[in-house]
Order: sequence, then C-alpha cells, then structure tokens
Amino acid sequence: MTEPTTQQDQPEINSLSYEQAREELVMTVKRLETGNLPLEESLRLWERGEALADRCQSWLDGAKERLDKARQETSDDAD
Amino acid sequence: MAQRISGTPGTLGETVEPKELAATAAETTAENPWPLSLLSSKMKSYIDRMSSVWIEGQVVELNHRGKASYLTLRDTDVEMSLPVQIWKNVLERTGAPLTEGSHVVANLKADFWTKTGRLTMRANDIRAVGLGELLARLERLKKQLAAEGLFDPSRKLRLPFLPNRIGLITGRDSDAQKDVVRNVHLRWPAAEFEIRNCAVQGPDAVPGVMKNLAELDEDPQIDVIVIARGGGSMEDLLPFSNEALVRAVSAARTPVVSAVGHEADRPILDEVADMRASTPTDAAKRIVPDVAEEGMNLLRARAELEAAVHRILDREQEMLTAVRSRPVLAEPQTMIIAHENELATIRRRSLQATTGLVIQAQNEIHHLRSQARSLSPLRTLERGYAVVQTDAGQAVRSAAEVASGDAVHVRVAHGRFDAAVTDVTPEPASDSTDAAETANGSES
Repeated sequence: MTEPTTQQDQPEINSLSYEQAREELVMTVKRLETGNLPLEESLRLWERGEALADRCQSWLDGAKERLDKARQETSDDAD
Repeated sequence: MAQRISGTPGTLGETVEPKELAATAAETTAENPWPLSLLSSKMKSYIDRMSSVWIEGQVVELNHRGKASYLTLRDTDVEMSLPVQIWKNVLERTGAPLTEGSHVVANLKADFWTKTGRLTMRANDIRAVGLGELLARLERLKKQLAAEGLFDPSRKLRLPFLPNRIGLITGRDSDAQKDVVRNVHLRWPAAEFEIRNCAVQGPDAVPGVMKNLAELDEDPQIDVIVIARGGGSMEDLLPFSNEALVRAVSAARTPVVSAVGHEADRPILDEVADMRASTPTDAAKRIVPDVAEEGMNLLRARAELEAAVHRILDREQEMLTAVRSRPVLAEPQTMIIAHENELATIRRRSLQATTGLVIQAQNEIHHLRSQARSLSPLRTLERGYAVVQTDAGQAVRSAAEVASGDAVHVRVAHGRFDAAVTDVTPEPASDSTDAAETANGSES
C-alpha cells in the first residue's frame, strides 16, 4: 500500500503553475485508476484531483477572457 | 598673292580706287574687305586638301534621288550630325542595305561648293556595322567595365523603402511610363513622380537619357530614378549599352533602377544599375511597398497569432475535459462502489466462512454427540441395565465395592433413584474385563 502523503506536505494548489497542476492531475488520475488504494486515500486523492482540475479550468477561462478582452480592444481600435 | 580681280564698279556707281588686297583674312577690315569669292575659293582649296576620313556614325536620314543618295550621319553618342552624299554605284557596292538608324562606318571626303557655299561630305565607301560586330564590341565594353569594377555589388546603392519622389526617364506616352506609374500608384497611391520623357531608341536616346539622368540626379528630392522602356530589337536597346550612358548611370549618386526591355534582355545598363527590374511593372513592384499587401500581411499575422493561441487553449481544454470525464473523477462513487463491492464480497465471504464453520461445528457436534451417545451407557440403560454409583460417585463394578446398608445412586434409562444395599454377592473379576474392552473399541 503506498504511504498516503498527508495534506500538509502537498504544495498549496494555488501556488502551482498551470503545467504543474495539470501534471499532478494526470498523475492523480493514474493512481486512482490503478486502484487498490485505501479508501481514505482514494477519497483524498479524488478531492485533490477535483481541486487540481478546477485550478486548470480557472486558468483556461482566465486565458480565454484575456483573449476576448484583447480582441475586443483591437476591434474597438478598428471601429 | 593679293591679286585684284577687276569687277563691276562700286555699288555707289563711281569707279573705286584699286586698293591693295589684304594678304590674309586677318588683315581684312570693313574698309578693305575680301571679295566673298576669294574667301570661298580659299575655303574650297583648304577643304579640298583635307584627306578623306573613316568615321563611325548612325544613319538618321536616308533618301535616294536618281544617281545619288543623300543621308544624314549622326555621332553614336553626341548630338552632332553631317549631311552625306553618296553615288548610287558606291552605295550598291556596300551590299548590306542601309536603313535609318543603322550603325555604319564610312569613308568621307569633304566637298565645298563655292557657288552655293554648301559643305557636304561625299562618301567614297560605307559599310553597315553588323549586329555581330556591335555585339562583339558590346561584350568587349562589358568586360572592360567589369574589369574596372563598375559592376561590383559593393557599388550598388540601397533603394529607399519608401521613396520621397520617383524620377522616371522613359519614352513620351510610352506603355512603360503608364505601367510604372499605374503599378506604383496601385501599391502606394501617395507616390510622387518626376517624369522626364526622351527618345528611348535610335541616335537621340543616349544624349536624351543622359541629360535627364543628370537633372534628376541633381534634384535632392528625388531618391530613386527609374529608366524604363518596353521590349525592342537588339538595335533598339543598344543605347542602353552605350559606354557614355552606362558610365553616367554608374556615377549617379541617386539609386538607379533599370527596367529596360523584356525579361530576357540584359543591356549593360542592367549591370551598372543599382537594381535590375525585368519589366517596367516589375520595377514598380520593387521601388514601393504595397500598402494594401503590408496591411494584409499584418492582418494575416494577427489572425494567425490568435488562431495559434486558440489552438493551444482548445487543446488544453480538450485535455482537461477528457481528464475530468475519467470515471475516477467524474463518478468518484465508482471507487466507493468498488470498495463497497469489495466490502460486500468480503462480507459475503466471511459469512460463508462462518456459516461453513458453524455447519462444520454443527456436524462435529452431531458427530460427537452420536459418538458420545454410542459410547454412553444410555443405550445399555435403555436395554434395562442400570448404573450404580456409590455416594462418592464411583460406579460400582464389583459387588465387593459395596456393603449392605450402603446408600447407592441408581441411574436407569429414564431417571435416577437412590437405594440401599441389602445383600452383596461378589463374583471373580476376569469376566468383567471383556466388557471393558468392548467399551474402549467403540470409543475410537
């Protein structure tokens, strides 16, 4: 059974860069999919996975927003 | 030899005192002039003494009249020409038919006609300078100029990206002019031109182009000069390989673009010009950026930029959605179910195990019970035997163990009772051991 890492020593999700969050998310899913984890560990990993996914999604949404805003500005200039 | 020619009386009608004739022209004065005829005859004798001379030139005019033909020969570089008269038979001897514009070498003799005072040159011989000869001469010139380094790339001046004013030397109302102007304005409507028209073929071309070049080169406002003309025959383009013109272009301080003839034509001008354009239209494309095109490039670049970013974002979004849709994330309960199932199976297995055990134990008990029963005296009791125990609980096997009056407990198949021994009759021990053996055998 892998030694379950406690919540503290996992880096605060918000401090992660998009790539780091994405990387850890993929790893978390892999571990969950291999299964044979203690129940408590599975739940904790699942929660972690969700938080990581939210982090990535918010980053993508932010990027799209910035893009739309930029396009909005250029089309304003063009008017 | 100031010899007085007796002439008519003076214009005033009175006889004039014969004066001493001036010996030389310099000594003549208004009061003591030479008679015109003297001057003419002196000129004639002087001219007659001139030797005939081979000269090179271009035929600019040619008309045949009867026994003689009259043509005008022009210098190949400079605007100087001479009328020439040639006898029909001499002309026919040349073989190659002369036409206007053809390049010739001629052996001339000056003739001075005292009657009219006309000076004409008489051609004793005239030969067209063949194209081959011209080309050979052109190649020699090209090599020489190359050797002088006039063609070195290092001499090429850079064209301005956006010219302030464009100098254009071309034929009047020529297609070349229209092409250059139209194409430049298509690309950059604000472009300004300084157009100089002149001959672009024949004897006047070289002097015309050089004059315009000098003027345009002088003008600081003009930062590029285009020399343009459409396609033409070898002869037509010859002026653009002329040494004087080529050297002038090479020396020009303003960048010069050569747009002469078709793609295939390569007059020496192309080699010395700062930029060679294959055609007038091509020249237009090279001297001004296409504002619309630049704008388009910008727009396309911006669009590509945006598309690229979108591609990245979309790809990441796809990845994220894919990851999120994985069962372990999307339906975490599947994991719980897994655990539940596991639990259920374990539970079931443990249940089975325990029931198994219980059943097994049950069987064991039955087995033991029946075994016990089969070993237990109950059955013998049921057959009417009884078990007698002393007060101490000892089972009496021999009468000798009791004495009359002892209290004994008797156990029969069903129930028990106490009794007192009234009479004792001992028996020998040997018969009773057989009974014990049979009891042990059935136990194992």
